[in-house]
Formats: sequence, C-alpha cells, structure tokens
Amino acid sequence: MKKILFLYLTLINVAFGYHYDDIVLKAQASIFPKIILLDKKIQNKLIDGKIVYTIVYNKSDYNTALSIEKFINKNFQGSLDKYNYKVNLVEFEKFSIQTQASAVYVLNLSEHIEKIAKVASEKGIISFSYDINNLKKGLMFSLVIEKSTVLYLKKEILFATKIEFVDALLQMVRFVEADYIDKNNFDYQNKLNSRNYYAKYFMNQKK
Amino acid sequence: MKKKMNSLSRKIVFLITAVTLVSFLLIFNLFEKINKEAFYNIETEKAKLILSTIEPLIALNIYLNLNNRVEELTKQLITNPNILAVKVLQKNKIISEIKALEFESNVNDSFIVKNAIYQPNSKKEIGTLILTYSNKNYKELVDRYTTLLIKVLILFVIFFLIFSLYVKRLLSPLRKIAKLVRGYSPDQNINIPFDNQNNEIGFISHALNNMQQSITKYSEQQQNINKYLEEKVEEKTKELRHQLYTNALTGLPNRRSLLHDINYYENGALLIINIDDFKEINDFFGHSVGDNILISFAQKLSEIITKEHESTLVHLAGDEFALFFLQKPAKKEFINFINSLLKNIEKIIFTHENNELTIRVTIGATYQAIEALEKADIALKSAKKQGKDFLIYDETLNVEQQYKNNMEWTKKLNWAIENDKIQPFFQPIYDNKTNRIVSAECLIRLLDKDNKIISPYYFLTIAKKSKLYSKLTKIMIQKSCQYFEHLDCDFSINLSVEDILDIDIVNYISKSILQYNVANKIILELLETEEIENYEEVSSFIFEMKSLGCRIAIDDFGSGYSNFEYLLKLNIDYIKIDGSLIKNLETDKNTLIVVETIVDFAQKLNIKVIAEYVHNEGVYNKVKQLGIDRSQGFYLAEPRNALPLP
Repeated sequence: MKKILFLYLTLINVAFGYHYDDIVLKAQASIFPKIILLDKKIQNKLIDGKIVYTIVYNKSDYNTALSIEKFINKNFQGSLDKYNYKVNLVEFEKFSIQTQASAVYVLNLSEHIEKIAKVASEKGIISFSYDINNLKKGLMFSLVIEKSTVLYLKKEILFATKIEFVDALLQMVRFVEADYIDKNNFDYQNKLNSRNYYAKYFMNQKK
Repeated sequence: MKKKMNSLSRKIVFLITAVTLVSFLLIFNLFEKINKEAFYNIETEKAKLILSTIEPLIALNIYLNLNNRVEELTKQLITNPNILAVKVLQKNKIISEIKALEFESNVNDSFIVKNAIYQPNSKKEIGTLILTYSNKNYKELVDRYTTLLIKVLILFVIFFLIFSLYVKRLLSPLRKIAKLVRGYSPDQNINIPFDNQNNEIGFISHALNNMQQSITKYSEQQQNINKYLEEKVEEKTKELRHQLYTNALTGLPNRRSLLHDINYYENGALLIINIDDFKEINDFFGHSVGDNILISFAQKLSEIITKEHESTLVHLAGDEFALFFLQKPAKKEFINFINSLLKNIEKIIFTHENNELTIRVTIGATYQAIEALEKADIALKSAKKQGKDFLIYDETLNVEQQYKNNMEWTKKLNWAIENDKIQPFFQPIYDNKTNRIVSAECLIRLLDKDNKIISPYYFLTIAKKSKLYSKLTKIMIQKSCQYFEHLDCDFSINLSVEDILDIDIVNYISKSILQYNVANKIILELLETEEIENYEEVSSFIFEMKSLGCRIAIDDFGSGYSNFEYLLKLNIDYIKIDGSLIKNLETDKNTLIVVETIVDFAQKLNIKVIAEYVHNEGVYNKVKQLGIDRSQGFYLAEPRNALPLP
C-alpha cells in the first residue's frame, strides 16, 4: 500500500510539479536534520524546547513535502538525539520571519528563494536546499549524490549567518563559491551512478 | 728481585677513566631507559594525535551515516606508512577495517591505539576507532640513539687514550728523576734535570738538588765526626786493652795476661809469690802505705829477676805476684832460682816515715805447664799450711783429692736437703739433783742413702764453705721447734756466729719460735769465742731473742780466753763448760780449779752450769760434787732421733 501511495505521489509530481529525485530527497531527509544538531548554539534555536524543521514547498509539491515529513518522523521517531523535533510544512507564500523554524528546508522553487534565504539569514537559522543551484540564491546547505554523498555549503552564507558548526563538519563539507555551481552545472541525471548505494541503504532501513 | 713499579700516571688515568666510564654507563643506561620511554611515548602520542585528528571526521560521517566516507577516510589513514591497520566499530560492529600490505610482516613490531568515537557536538559514544601503529619509527629512533652513544663511547675511549698518553708524558720526568735518585749515595753528586721547569716537577727537581747539597754537607760533617770517633775509639780500646791486661796499681801484666801466656806457651813454668801477712801491713800502716810497698816490691822484683830466663812478672792481685817462665828451665836451675829469689826478697828493705820494713814471701811453684796457675796455687797453699818458704807442685800433695771429697760432700748435702735427710737428734740433759731429763740438745745428723747416720764432723765445715750452712740451720730450727711444740721439755739449739750475723736466719728463728710457741722452752747455745769477736752483733741478737722470752747459753765455755766481763754484759742464762775441761776433770787438778772457778762465778751470777762430755761415772760424780746444775754426755744418754721422755 505504501509503495502504491509512493508511486501515486511520484506520478502526481511527475504530472503536476517538479520532478524530485527520491533518493536525493531521502538522503537529504536523513542527513539535514542531523546537521541541525551540529550547530553549537542549537539551544538558542529551539522553539518551545523543540527543534522545528520547517519544510518550505510550492503548493504543487505538498505531497513531496508530506512524504518527506513522514520519512523524517519514521526515521527519527520524534526526537533528534536528546531534542524533540517537529516538522513544520509551510508554503512559500506563507513563509515569513514569524514562521517557527529552527532550520528551513527548501524544496525546489523557481522564485521566492532569495526571500526565504533572507528570512533564514535574519533568523540566523540553517537553510537547506534540495537543489544545489539554489545555494547561489542564498541558501546554505545542499546535498548531492556523486560518487559519494557530497554536502555543499555556501561559504558566504555561513559567514553571514554566523552559525558555529562543529569543526569536523567544516572539514567534510565542500564549500561552494557563487560561480562554482554554474561551472559544474550539476545534473542529477549524470550522478545516478552512486545511487545504488543509497537505494540499498534505504531498502535496508525499510526492512 | 726488582719491584714492579706502580705507575702513578697510569693509576690517575685509570681512576679517571674508571669513574667516568662507570658514570657514563650509568647515565647511558638511565638515558637509554628514559629516551626509549620518551621515544615510545612520542610514537604513541603521534598515533593518538592521528586518532584525535581523524576521529571527529569519522564521528561526523558515522553520525551522518556516510559510511562510504568513513571508508575513504580509513583508506586515507592507511597511506601513512606507520599505520598498519585501521578499524572502525559502530556499536561493536565493524563498519570499516583496512590493513596495510606490511601488516602481516610488521604486526609483531606494532602497538594498538584505541579512541572512542563521540557523536559530534555531544558526549555520546557512537563507536571505536582502533589503530595498529608500527614500531618502525620507534626502533629507528632507538637505533640511531644507540649508534650515537656508541660513537660517543668510542670517542670517549680515544679521548682517554690520548689523555693517558699525555699524563704519562707529563709525569715521565718524575720517572727519570726517580731513576737518577735510586742510585744516589752521599759521596756522589748527581745532576737532577728539569730544574728550570716552572711547574711541580721543576720544584721537585730544585728541592732534590738542594737536598743533595745539604746531604753532601751533612755527610762530610758526619765523616769528620766518624773519623774523630774512630780515633777516639781506637785510643780508648788501646787504653782498655792495656787496663784489661795490666794491673792498675803496679803497671805489671795481670792475671788475664798470665792466663793468656799460660795458654800460649805450652812449655812454661810458673811460680806464685805471696807476701806473708800483708794484711797486717795494711791494717797497721794503712792501705796507702800497703799500695806503695806493693809498687816498690814490683819494681824491686823486676830488678831482681835477671834476664837469663825469658819470663814475665805478673801482679795477680793484692799481695800476690807471679813469674811465668816462657820456657821452663832445668828443674835444679828452677829450684836454685827460687831459693835465690827468696834470699833476695828477704834483703829488700822498705822505708816508711823513718821505719824500715822487711817482708817475707811464700812461693808456690809448678813445673807443669798445664793448669799451671791452679797447680802453683795449690802448691802455695800447701806451703803456707806446712809453713814452708816454697813448695813445687807435686801430685803427692793430695790436694786434688781433698777438693774431690769436698765436692762429694757438697753433693751429698744437697741430696740430703732435697730428700729431707737432715734430722735433729736429741741428747738429754739431766738435772743433777733430780736425775731427771730437764732439757735436750738438738744435734744435727745426716742420713745417707742407706739411712746411715752421718756425724756433722764430716759435713759441717764443708757446709759452711759451700754456703749450705744457712739451709741446715733453718732445717734444724724448724724441725726442733716442731718436735718440742707439744713436749713439756726445754731444748737447746746451737747457733754459729754466721747464723747470728745472717738477718734472714735471725728473722727465721723469731718466726719459728712464734709459730710453734716455744719461746719459753728454747735455749740458744752460742760459742764463747765467736761471741767476743762479734760482740755488738751478738749482744743485739741476745737482746732480741730474750725479748721474745728465749734463754741463752754459752757453749764450750772455758775453751778460749774466757772473758767474764762480756759474760756479765750479755745477760746469759746458762754456761756449758767445754767438754775438754770436763773429760779431764778426774785426772787434771788444774782443770778442776778452772771448772770450780767457772762454777763459783756462775753461781754468784745465778747462771746455771751444764757439764758436757760426761762420759763415765767418775766424771759424773765429780760434776755433781762441784755443784754443776746439769749434766750431758754419753754416760747418761746418747743422741737419739726421739727423746726418751716418761
């Protein structure tokens, strides 16, 4: 049943919205919440003692956002390490400075990205992007599956938001400049050779 | 054998080397231990540093479930040549393990470092990182360090070899100096080198040169002193030799010189010339005059003795001279010479303070060279005894036999004393009124080896000559006192003047009297003649004995010139009339008168009279008639070893 639903949603997405790479989505859903905990001042970003992981989406991507929420809840079982968390789904239009968020995950958007990046910057929270190309618009992290999983970090945003991460994170991420993304022209279709690993990984998790 | 030299330089270098080597080895060991530990710690720290560096990355990748990245990291780690294996465990499950190609070959020379993997930004342990680290670097460090130390040690040995050679060279002058000084004697001058060196060796050389000068100077002085002393010693030796062989008074050769001549000349003849009664000259005119007469006599003798016969005039001692013929003349000629000599001596007149003195001599001569001095002396004594002017030694003089007898008796006496064979015999003395024994005279007897009783006639004189007399007296005193200690009877002991003059004997008498408590029983008999000659000593002795409670008797009274005055002074208790008077009492009227006078005198002085030698009834009756108080003699009782008391 779950498989049918998942297939249905995928088909809806294919029919009405942006095509998301399920493997990448799951990889990001597995890793990004954990990165929140690598913020040395995470306590300052708790809302009512909880980590609020806000997913910003386009209306047409609601189902994707919902599936991500479910995946996260299933994966983390309501807590990130010692903190409880809440996944908050917010449409682009509704996202503002008042929106509760300890970190924001932005699905693929054609517009409003700068606005979200600005809010995140103002709030001093981490911003994750599904699409690495959105980093040049001011989002902080993205994850790409190449030969191995690569975590990208926009250096300027890191300096701007003044978020302090554990040192190791900075050692393992690949920093990107503004023009880096253009030069490399990330094409997910070409990066599928490493997906087998994650496919296996996620399959194991389901079992 | 030449003594092996202990080189000082070698010793110094050896000691320094030994001390340094021991210190070096100690420091080496200590450093080696510390450095090995330090090297090991360095390698451990390096491994830990790698772990602590990589751990956060691995932790993050595990945290983010990026296990493939963990794999990459471990692969990166293994590129380090010192890392042999890396193992990453997540909840005890190996998530990555990688081994270097050298792992198998080097696993024994490695150590393992573990580090816990903590979740980033949390203290939660999420895994373990295990590193197998090679000891290769550690070993290389240790090897390099050891090589360095060995090099230092070799350098050190080389340095000390050079140092030892240098010290040896520095001290070599001392050896040269020692070699030179070894054969030094004060009569030679050696030039000690290195005098000009301005160091310790120079100082020593300089000091030795100075010392050499002082020694030479001192030696010269000593040689002069020695020479002087040698001369003095020689002079003194001559003087002493002269004194040794010369009589100091007359300057004639002495007895030692004569003995030397007698031994040297085997065919000589000797005569000893003794001046008669020379003691009287000394006593009358004094020793100074006597000495002058001897000097004068020596000169005149020298003049008298013609040079016809080769002879030596000797002054033996005091009034005795000798003339030794180096070659004996014919016997007749020898006798003629003696007669001639005697006549010539009689003619010699000495003057002293207008007095003319003449002397007579007695000559003892021997015609035999062997034991000439002794034989001439025997001949002289025989001549004196026989009242002859001279006598030539002859075996018939039998003097040697007398000497032999004396020797034998001395031997017997010694044996008797040692074997307790001197015994007192007791002859009873009877009271003439009661006819009872009132006293006993203790008479000495000697028992020979067959227990035969020997009379004192045979040994008493010899005892006096051989100085055993005092021993006999002591034995008599002790045994007599002991015998009469518990007997109710008086007893008398004969004492000679030698006994009285001997302090030791006097003390012994006093001690024995007190020891045996016989003061009221003992009567000490003294000889009348001897008393008078030594009046002072005898008087003192009598006083001392009487103060103890003893009684005194005069023995053999009437045998000499009886001196009644002394008798009065000496406070005598008994008079024992001489036996020669008693035994003739029956026949000789003069004797009777003498005895009557003595008895009368004694009675008036309350002195008891004893008659000895009462040998028959007639004498006994006469004694009684004369009113003599006590009698003793063979008629009444012979001396026995025990007293026949009732």
